[in-house]
Amino acid sequence: MKAIILLLALLGLTAPATAFDFGNLNLGDALKTVQKVQKATTDISEPQEIELGNGIASNFLGAAPLLKDQRVQKYVNNVGRWLALQTERPDLPWQFAVLDDNDINAFAVPGGRIFITKGLLERMKSEAELAGVLAHEISHVLMKHHLQAIKKGARTELMSEFAGQALQQKGANPALTKLVSAGTEVYTRGLDKNDEFEADRMGVVIAARGGYDPYGLPAILQTLQGINPQDSGLALMFKTHPALIDRLDLLDKLMSGAFDRFETQPNLAPRFMAAISKLDKPVNRKQ
Amino acid sequence: MKPIFTLCVVACLLSPIATQAGEIAYTVRATELKAKPFADAATLRSLAEHGKVEIITRQASWMQVKSDGTTGWVKMLSLRLGNGDAPIKSGDSGLGALFNVAATGNSGSTVTTGVRGLSEENLKNARPNPQALETMNGYAVSKEAASGFAKAGKLKSQQIDYLPPSGKGGN
Repeated sequence: MKAIILLLALLGLTAPATAFDFGNLNLGDALKTVQKVQKATTDISEPQEIELGNGIASNFLGAAPLLKDQRVQKYVNNVGRWLALQTERPDLPWQFAVLDDNDINAFAVPGGRIFITKGLLERMKSEAELAGVLAHEISHVLMKHHLQAIKKGARTELMSEFAGQALQQKGANPALTKLVSAGTEVYTRGLDKNDEFEADRMGVVIAARGGYDPYGLPAILQTLQGINPQDSGLALMFKTHPALIDRLDLLDKLMSGAFDRFETQPNLAPRFMAAISKLDKPVNRKQ
Repeated sequence: MKPIFTLCVVACLLSPIATQAGEIAYTVRATELKAKPFADAATLRSLAEHGKVEIITRQASWMQVKSDGTTGWVKMLSLRLGNGDAPIKSGDSGLGALFNVAATGNSGSTVTTGVRGLSEENLKNARPNPQALETMNGYAVSKEAASGFAKAGKLKSQQIDYLPPSGKGGN
């Protein structure tokens, strides 16, 4: 009895009352939970962040295929990896991929995997624009925006279970499965607007650090702002991001003056155009 | 609901997707049309707020535009695409919101849901694809390779701190 009381007291420390269902509590589960409570943390280690990201990335790849063009994939990885080297987390296993999808969007999952759709790539005009978008996504990873959104939405108990789970353990990890599923859903709801503005603010700096014309991000945002908002390829991006006009207004205020010294950095438009030359252009594409 | 979207589908097919050159934009503040893309270049004329221009090309923070027959340069971020009288809105307003209702299925419409790979529904129902994840691993490049790629493009690392949220601009 004493043990159970101690157990419940411990559980109470980590789980809000509402997150608790005593009806499902059995001793085996409770003991396991105690082991996690001993770790008394919902902090996710970097390997776990990567593992969670891999699960979400796998789901993304289940929703849309990879573009079958190794040259383009390598090109995007080169741009992205170079930008990641300019950041505070240069040693994450950064990986980039183009999804063969006509939607206009880009995504970053925890741990450093970043996706961009073919639809977005086709609307860009220079490597600096690609760099701007990748740098925005890299910023989400640096700031762990999605990880925090997942944490916020998940029950403390589940986070604690995942945090306490040793990575070496083989076999199914129910907590990971649940978090991957919840994590994937975060991408259909989107982040807090301020996280998006923060990623814009950091993205232009990272692009400038990489030696690019830092106006690539506002340039592609402006291009998208000119697309008919009824274009169905923008539906998910519009739902999950602040209005483009607001994002442009913010960059307008931020960049004025502060970025003058980077005015002559290259945008590498010719290299970009050569790299994506084999892709269909949107105007020629059958919708 | 349905007729509106049928109309939209037809209209979207007919109108080519925006390419920036030749597009109409409007100024979000009174600004000067410069002879060259420099702040201290000669001023060709003044543009009022909500003045319409035609876009020619971009060079860093400058956009080459045509205004009433005069070609010159204005700051890119002093422009928004579209018609100044009815700026294109996105996000939670106007037609974008109308569209989102359709896309999330709340209206009972199934106009585009499921047609494209990355729709909300497809993401929610996505099954993992570990094989594709493996293929993606094969695209990764090393730090050294990325540095070589940057060098080939004459990209040089720069020192600059992140900007504060308020963003006053200026040095």
